[in-house]
Amino acid sequence: MQSKPTGFANPWFHLALSVLFVAVYQLLLKLGATETAHIAGARWAWTGLSGLASLYVWLGLPLILLSLVTWLQVLRFIPLSIAFPISQVPHILVPLCSWLILGESINSLRWAGIALVSLGLALVAKPVARLEERL
Amino acid sequence: MTTISLVLVLAALLAFVAGQLLLKKAMDAANLHSFRSMKFLWPLAAGVSLLGAQFFLNLGLLQRYDLSFIYPFQGLSVIIISIAAAILLREKLTLQLVAGSVLISAGIVLVSLT
Repeated sequence: MQSKPTGFANPWFHLALSVLFVAVYQLLLKLGATETAHIAGARWAWTGLSGLASLYVWLGLPLILLSLVTWLQVLRFIPLSIAFPISQVPHILVPLCSWLILGESINSLRWAGIALVSLGLALVAKPVARLEERL
Repeated sequence: MTTISLVLVLAALLAFVAGQLLLKKAMDAANLHSFRSMKFLWPLAAGVSLLGAQFFLNLGLLQRYDLSFIYPFQGLSVIIISIAAAILLREKLTLQLVAGSVLISAGIVLVSLT
């Protein structure tokens, strides 16, 4: 493994960027898919190609490219079994932000899920501290 | 949920997991050799192709199904990728990492079910 770069090339910084890009493009894709759902009845519907009729999908494409490039920088320095679990943070950040900022309610099943993911992240992050010491 | 939708969701999951493993393999090769090495370019091309296939499968699924059907399968990808990385890429997997991945997977499934 190469020595870990600092500053702009820092893989943890790229992990944060990648996660942000993914969160935004997933939102755009959902908007685009909803917008094009009515023309998806055709024979090739399962390919999802009709989604290309939506401007949202095209707006999402550069973000996908950015998320891919930043993710590759992450993979150069961090094991997949550590980087990937951490990259799933948006699954709890989105409902938490909706609760804090938009005042949306969170039911008990969701709270349980958020608690489980947080606990899991704490377990995954511990080896990270050790990994950083070694680098 | 029909059989075909389940097949498509599982195909998307498989393409995603395989794509991620290939990208990691490519970047390990880039560190070991160079960015011009075929050991980097070949898994990179294969990985990007698989993620591209997953992208369109997912788009097709998003057109017809609710996020609450699609996201739980994405949640499962966490534990699948950790175990596959240990077996296929020989990453060191501690009990703590496995437990963390299982909790994250289960948590995402719970969050997205509702």
